[in-house]
Amino acid sequence: MNGYLKLAVKNLLRHRTRSALTMLGIAASVGVLFSVLSFNRGFSEGLAVELERTGLHFMIVPSGCAHEVAALVLHGAVIPKFLDTAVMQHVNEADGIDLATPILVAQLPDPQRGKIDLIYGVDMTALSAIKPSWQITGRIPEQDHEVLLGYEVAQHEKLQPGDRFASPVEGVDLMVAGIVGLTGSQDDAFVYLPIATAQKLLDYPAAATAIGVKVTDPTRMLEITDALTAAVPGIQIVTMGEVMNSISNLAASARALSLAIVLIAILISAVGVMNSILMAVFERSQEIGMMRAVGASRSNIFRIILEETTILSLGGGLVGIFISILGSRLIEAFVRAVMPFVPSGNLISFDAGLAMGSVIFILVIGLCAGIYPAWKASKINPVEAIKG
Amino acid sequence: MIELKQIEKTYRRGAEDVRALRGIDLSIAAGELLAITGPSGAGKTTLLHILGCLDQPTGGEVLFDGVNTSHMAESELVRLRREKIGFVFQQFYLIPGLSVFDNIALPLLFSKKPATREKILALAEMVGLEHRLDHAPSQLSGGEMQRTAIARGLVNDPDILLADEPTGNLDSENSDKIYEILRSLSQNGLTTVMITHNTELAARAQRTVQIRDGLVHT
Repeated sequence: MNGYLKLAVKNLLRHRTRSALTMLGIAASVGVLFSVLSFNRGFSEGLAVELERTGLHFMIVPSGCAHEVAALVLHGAVIPKFLDTAVMQHVNEADGIDLATPILVAQLPDPQRGKIDLIYGVDMTALSAIKPSWQITGRIPEQDHEVLLGYEVAQHEKLQPGDRFASPVEGVDLMVAGIVGLTGSQDDAFVYLPIATAQKLLDYPAAATAIGVKVTDPTRMLEITDALTAAVPGIQIVTMGEVMNSISNLAASARALSLAIVLIAILISAVGVMNSILMAVFERSQEIGMMRAVGASRSNIFRIILEETTILSLGGGLVGIFISILGSRLIEAFVRAVMPFVPSGNLISFDAGLAMGSVIFILVIGLCAGIYPAWKASKINPVEAIKG
Repeated sequence: MIELKQIEKTYRRGAEDVRALRGIDLSIAAGELLAITGPSGAGKTTLLHILGCLDQPTGGEVLFDGVNTSHMAESELVRLRREKIGFVFQQFYLIPGLSVFDNIALPLLFSKKPATREKILALAEMVGLEHRLDHAPSQLSGGEMQRTAIARGLVNDPDILLADEPTGNLDSENSDKIYEILRSLSQNGLTTVMITHNTELAARAQRTVQIRDGLVHT
């Protein structure tokens, strides 16, 4: 350890509690900064993965707002406008279509049980293409009266494959064919059933909320969507990229707000560093006077104080990253509980580049906060300091 | 070695100008042990700070080995303090977090010289602290603290050691020990200037100068 560093460490250790608290302030703000940046990155990546997992390239919806489509795709909303499944005929006739499946998403009230089921009607033969990552206990429904339950629904209703699923419509008996494993997303809250059954339960024959389409060659997507829009009136085509942008835009303001709060926290901790170091400088002014007398230049004194700030910032930064990694699951659970939409999967994971960036950022902020106390210390008049 | 010519020092205290030194003429020869005495507020410490290039006079000249330091730039004064001057203070000013070894070695950090164990041990032996090198200042007696401060003042091999009431906080036994160290240093050729209120110690010095009202009274 070089002499300046040793001196700085020893000086900090003289007021252990104060140094520890200052470092903890920095650690807390760096931890939050790292978590928010990791979360934002994880959110974007998770969203992209989630949309890619649908296995679809675009959705055909009734003309309207793209944000509604975003809500639809993410299963959190019910759109009161429907497509006629006759549109399917045009879609199937179009060139370059690999897979097209109507999807009907709706709420189904059950007055007897006093609750509302969220139902997701889909062509069950296309389900594995739409949701390739699902782990299913039991099997995908093969008959019209069979349903697939989201994890939370099955847990809440205490149902197993083979059990009867209470239907709110008289004369329709449903049976649980399979249960989807926990996805950590809104998928867990749905009841999946063949689209014809869903149409029958809802009394919306030939209705679909959207038609999901996968093309054979994604590079021809623009050509295909243009052709479909021209051929079928009253529809709107939204690509998954557009859906992602819509959701990203919705989330952007929340992310900007959280970053602003983090930056304020960092500013407060920087003021804490400045205050702590400044206090130490005033307390040690006689010592600084002595050091000037025995040969320290102003820049030597400046360096000693700045090294103390560096240790506090760097130490706080590294501790903050460590705490953030340890607490990432807790933070993620909290964010999932308060945010309306969060993609499934691990959102906060360790990224060396991001961690290093966060530490370097706090180091720069810490050094800026240390400049004033260091300058003050270097300006101490040795004669006056020694006199006391 | 050092020659002071008509040194004046005036500083401002509130709205009033205070003339701390009013025209001091003083020559200090190499290897001399000089005691400066005088009542409180007479200007002794101000004179010592000017001798040690910590402060600049408002009038007159300080010749250090023939070089006028009165108008030197701050960086040159720092270099002079590092290379040629050692300081000892009444309050010791040891750094609490550092061991005796590190306190003695502190000035070497600023002069960028290596703090070899041999050098520090030799100094510690000279002041009788070789068994205390790893101790913290809080574990030392007042006399030991001052001996540590003397070793620190000598670590850069200065030409002159300036001691501001080095025995002011010590009992008579420790005061004697400190004085003996300073006398032995002087006998070995180190110019030593000591401010003291202790008339008995001052009387044992090679020469005594009394300062009163900012003027020399020999």
